Amino acid sequence: MSLLEVRGIDVFYGNVQAIREVSFDVAGGEIVTVIGANGAGKSTTLKTLAGLMKPRKGTILFGGKDVTGLAPFDLVELGLVLIPEARQLWPGMTVLENLELGAYGKRARRERAGTLETVFGMFPRLRERLRQNAGTLSGGEQQMCAIGRGLMARPKLLLLDEPALGLAPMLVREVFKSLRTIRDQGVTVVLVEQNVSHALAIADRAFVLETGRVTLSGPARELARDRRVKDSYLGFASA
Amino acid sequence: MQELREVLLNTLLAAGLYATMSYGLAVIYGVMRIINLAHAGLMMLAAYVTFALYTRYEMDPFLSLVVVIPLFFLLGVLLHRFVVRRLPRTTGTPTMQSLLLLFGVWLVLQNLAYALWTGDTQSILTPYTLKSVTLLGVRVGVPNLLVFGVSALSLLALNFVLKRTYLGRAIRAVTQNRDAALLSGIDADRLSAITFGAGTAFAAIAGTSLSTLYAFTPDFGRSFLLKAFCIIVLGGMESFTGVAAGALVLAFLENALAAWTPIPTSFQDAISFTLLVLVLVAVPQGLPGIARKVARWRASS
Ligand SMILES: Nc1ncnc2c1ncn2[C@@H]1O[C@H](COP(=O)(O)OP(=O)(O)OP(=O)(O)O)[C@@H](O)[C@H]1O
Ligand SMILES: [Mg+2]
Repeated sequence: MSLLEVRGIDVFYGNVQAIREVSFDVAGGEIVTVIGANGAGKSTTLKTLAGLMKPRKGTILFGGKDVTGLAPFDLVELGLVLIPEARQLWPGMTVLENLELGAYGKRARRERAGTLETVFGMFPRLRERLRQNAGTLSGGEQQMCAIGRGLMARPKLLLLDEPALGLAPMLVREVFKSLRTIRDQGVTVVLVEQNVSHALAIADRAFVLETGRVTLSGPARELARDRRVKDSYLGFASA
Repeated sequence: MQELREVLLNTLLAAGLYATMSYGLAVIYGVMRIINLAHAGLMMLAAYVTFALYTRYEMDPFLSLVVVIPLFFLLGVLLHRFVVRRLPRTTGTPTMQSLLLLFGVWLVLQNLAYALWTGDTQSILTPYTLKSVTLLGVRVGVPNLLVFGVSALSLLALNFVLKRTYLGRAIRAVTQNRDAALLSGIDADRLSAITFGAGTAFAAIAGTSLSTLYAFTPDFGRSFLLKAFCIIVLGGMESFTGVAAGALVLAFLENALAAWTPIPTSFQDAISFTLLVLVLVAVPQGLPGIARKVARWRASS
């Protein structure tokens, strides 16, 4: 059974439709990546899954349960967690406070101390910066803090919106490596990433969004060889 | 020297109350992006409730806080549940609807007070109302000292909650980035209700305090709301120290101008109003903006 089933959702900003009839599945334990040009609707899709936006039509099933229209905090409690675009840390709070608040939900709060150790194991740099305000971290450290905060919520399904945006190549590799580790610990991952060749390399499956519709989907390895994907999304990335 | 000591001590005493009054507005603004115009009405109502408890049950006004604080917390939660929550969500600047709605709440509270207590001027006269003590060579009123004590305790308690508890950190998180807070599993609606309750309780603490210092009518509170606006514009809405600094600056200006210039104390409201306009025109970022500029200037030289 799929962990996540999205069935024909339509999402609007006011009267402007951003997502049309989008359907896809995510199985437990896999990494799925969403590919698409700027404005294709990738972030909107993730925001809708996380409950920040409500679909006007369609249903979303998580673990077999209808979660369409639930509030974000309900979804977090169920284990569906989004790490949003541009990190969105609380700049005036310390790294530790950011991480601890990630475990705000009842379920996550019980396991807080243990999760914190796991996060430090993955990003030792964060341990050195614990008392520093998150707003004063470097871009890479901020991204680690954002991923760490997401993990503190003990997700079953982790959604990431462009986690490598604006990072130096070495840090990009580090972030992608951490996603593998996260998956290996049993967390299912949905990844939106401009860096398409990297994303396809670590993903099991992928689908392509074009102006709010799913136009292609399949195993990541196959999509990486697909003509249309190569022409539209891999051209400049591999150059 | 004596005069300077007097000005400084009076500044400190007044600033405590001013800060208490302003934090109620600031926490609500931070979490909900709403300017609570009903704040003045709530201060006025608290003054009357304190008055009623004193005349009916001979309850000491400062002791009556034990009743007033939970009562107004509950009132705030109910106000949020049945009135404020119906407003459309906003993440940016406060909407016209929210301003009008809360202004309406203020008018309702005013008329309620007229109906219950008429428009006559009331005051609370306790055995210690007119007493004073000498502190560091300065004579200060006993009620002023008690008010300062209450303010200091309230501010310490608020600071503790905001810094050390999960609830308080969640409040700061919603203030700094609402979406991120939602995505971390924080129930912003429940948190808003609690915050509105807390803001209302702070209005009540200020109202009870004021009732021991001044006479009041149902119109009471307007000039204090203006002072609170002035402090918040000066200190910024989002930082604890900013509001404290704003309160100190306003209190100092009032006391200093009264002591060292021929401006009569009846012009006190004009001081906060002038300051409000000046700050808005000259340094719209307030004290935090000035601090940032100074830091940048020092870093570059
Ligand atoms: N807040 C908003 N209000 C109105 N329209 C929006 C808003 N956010 C996004 N849109 C529109 O919705 C469509 C999808 O945007 P979305 O942010 O989901 O794209 P994206 O695929 O994440 O793009 P990018 O790669 O640039 O991040 C775009 O046409 C965009 O202009
Ligand atoms: Mg996007």
